[in-house]
Amino acid sequence: MRLTNQEAFEKYASEAHERWTSKFGGDRWVINVGISECSKAKGALDTWSNLQLHLDNSGLDYELHQVGCAGWCFAEPFIEVIAPDSPGIVFQNVVTDLVPELVQAFKSGDFPVEHAMGVRGDESFKGIAPLNEHPFLKGQHRLLFKRAGEIDPDSIEEYIANGGYAGFVKALLEMTPEEIVHEVKESNVRGRGGAGFPAGIKWESGRRTQAWPKYVVANSHEGEPNVFKDRRLIESDPHLVLEGLMIACVALETPHGYNYIGGEHVLALARFQHAVDQAYELGLLGDNVLGTGKSFHMRVRSGGGAYICGEGSALMYAIMGERGQPRTKPPRSVEEGVWRRPTVLNNTETYAAVPSIITNGGSWYASIGTEQSKGTKLVTIQGPVARIGVAEVDMGYSLRSLIEDIYGGAKEGYTLKGIQMGGVSAGPLRMDQLDVGIDFESLEEVGAMLGSGGFVAFDESICAVDFARYLTQFNRYESCAKCTPCRLGNKALLEIVDKVRNGQSPNDVAALIEATSENIIDLSLCGLGQVAPMPLLGMMKAFPDEFEAHFRDGTCPQGQCPVSQPRLRLEPVAAD
Amino acid sequence: MAHGAPASEIDLQPLRTILEDRYNPENYQDSLELIVQACQEAQHLYGYVPKAATEAIAEHLGVSTNRIFGLLTFYADFLTDEPGEHTMLLCHGTACYVGGSQKLVDHLDLRYDVTSGKTTRDGTLTVQIVNGCLGVCDLAPVAQLDHHDYCGHLTVESFEGLMETLRSESKAATGEDSDETD
Ligand SMILES: Cc1cc2nc3c(=O)[nH]c(=O)nc-3n(C[C@H](O)[C@H](O)[C@H](O)COP(=O)(O)O)c2cc1C
Ligand code: SF4
Ligand code: FES
Repeated sequence: MRLTNQEAFEKYASEAHERWTSKFGGDRWVINVGISECSKAKGALDTWSNLQLHLDNSGLDYELHQVGCAGWCFAEPFIEVIAPDSPGIVFQNVVTDLVPELVQAFKSGDFPVEHAMGVRGDESFKGIAPLNEHPFLKGQHRLLFKRAGEIDPDSIEEYIANGGYAGFVKALLEMTPEEIVHEVKESNVRGRGGAGFPAGIKWESGRRTQAWPKYVVANSHEGEPNVFKDRRLIESDPHLVLEGLMIACVALETPHGYNYIGGEHVLALARFQHAVDQAYELGLLGDNVLGTGKSFHMRVRSGGGAYICGEGSALMYAIMGERGQPRTKPPRSVEEGVWRRPTVLNNTETYAAVPSIITNGGSWYASIGTEQSKGTKLVTIQGPVARIGVAEVDMGYSLRSLIEDIYGGAKEGYTLKGIQMGGVSAGPLRMDQLDVGIDFESLEEVGAMLGSGGFVAFDESICAVDFARYLTQFNRYESCAKCTPCRLGNKALLEIVDKVRNGQSPNDVAALIEATSENIIDLSLCGLGQVAPMPLLGMMKAFPDEFEAHFRDGTCPQGQCPVSQPRLRLEPVAAD
Repeated sequence: MAHGAPASEIDLQPLRTILEDRYNPENYQDSLELIVQACQEAQHLYGYVPKAATEAIAEHLGVSTNRIFGLLTFYADFLTDEPGEHTMLLCHGTACYVGGSQKLVDHLDLRYDVTSGKTTRDGTLTVQIVNGCLGVCDLAPVAQLDHHDYCGHLTVESFEGLMETLRSESKAATGEDSDETD
């Protein structure tokens, strides 16, 4: 079906909404299974087929649906059961072995409390507390993740039934491009890819440049080792990202949109491509969209296994079929980007914020968050905490509360030592430094960095020197080798750290590290080299005693570095 | 997915069909944009990007094989040599590091002389060490085997157990050392 004008869209939307609401409330059991990369890893597909088998045998009248990830990795695989006359109940860790027991219980009208995570709505149901009161969700404010885990990411109809594409239609038919840019500026949404540059200002410069064609590009590369928010967002609600991109195309008055997705994110790639295909079928992409005479096209591109391709200029070269290596700036990409034409590049999450800014207004968005950091932020945690997952909190939310309440603090049997902030681009905070807000300014003030929002908890068994080595090694390995300070400087830095780990620190090693770092930071061409030594410097600052023990005494208090390990060399296996 | 089809047995027809169906550049710019994805298709079909596939892609898109090789060697995801019987993506993202993936990386190097992209000498396993996060940190340290099975909470011991299974499976398949002794 192709929608040819606004009326047709609105009719489609209201019918979709009706179908959506009538899906629940009948005599039929509706059962949703979260299917995402991480739930699949934990056996969700087996759960799915076993559910099918047992529900068939149970004689219950049921429908099985796929939904996306809801951010609660710790609870995967999860299912949501909407029984006749009951609110939706989410069950966690429903591995395939649990299925027979659960289906048996459902049949006799029981909802086992011990496997339930919570119930939708504000009231308890049969002894199961509301989902919103679950410690993982209680402090969250879900704007981007609003539909995540509730709709089928492969269904444009369910997206539209829940308010989707209303922002695009409004932008296209009721607003001038200037007004769109004005709302985005008013919202003061800042780039979620790391640097925090205001999106509205970028869009405005993109409009000002007079060269054609122009391009709008989403950065869904997500090659950092410490974060997994963008792919989860796409896996759960691909149309949200697509809609944001399409609104940017309207604002820039260009038909050319791209999403560059990291090749490793297989499911995100497939779901986004599917979303694009559906939008074409419905006539939201293509030529003469909704009878306006305007065209919008979206291309999905990908490349894999090169962190540097997330850097703006490198990403554009990657799209153009070149090796993804950064270039000197200026010209900035809003002047010369893809195919040397003006290009607006934003992070996936930045685009995802746009539809609600358009429907609710920029000032609404600006009322959320802190003075200078607006809106909500997707954050992820890695490491030994009780509840791993993607959370969405207001900018300015307390880091301590995030770690201790939402993520549940240390996992049983572990004592946390610190949180690595800003991934491979900044240093850590110790556990006594967590009383700080999660926003661009507050974190910078304490020498950490919000970056893309991927935090790593590490425990007492981790040696700060070894961890710093890991992060330095990452940057060395991922250096594109275009410029010497980064290519050789990081290698030198790694060699120094390795000497330290081997108990052979050169004289005055701290000064040597600082001087080498300074050269790399000052002389490197792009953002990778310019921050590559930061994790090491940050670790030195946060855990000076540990470094001192390595430097001075040649010992590793954690017993993790080679200096404290027996020199054992395993014999390689003989050839067969 | 076929893994490690030997160079002599590469059947280019499936690749050609995909290219003809879905890779139709309108101009040279489009051709350049499509190279990496076309190579991903080849890797998906053959488990690596064989030289013959590179040539087929070059011919279809009207670009040079040189340029394609330049890209294949730049992106760490691509294998240009025939992989072993199994392929493993070993995650070395931060969560996996904190969980101990460095020990696995070191073990592979010391015990098997295997670094990223390399194959064990007996041809059982090709390992690609992934620096980015595989996105299933709850299972850290984690590896993905043959692009679908996940092995979570890996230790050197459980890795060795896995290797043992893979080796005995391949022996059983080739009839060597078979349990059936009739
Ligand atoms: C080495 C390096 C890697 C980067 N990787 C990413 C990435 O994976 N995703 C992303 O959105 N931005 C990444 N960035 C930031 C981009 O260069 C760019 O600032 C961003 O995509 C702009 O979007 P935003 O303003 O919405 O944040 C990276 C930067 C550098 C220097
Ligand atoms: S700083 Fe590093 S990654 Fe950036 S251009 Fe130079 S060598 Fe490449
Ligand atoms: S870091 Fe290994 S799965 Fe995330």
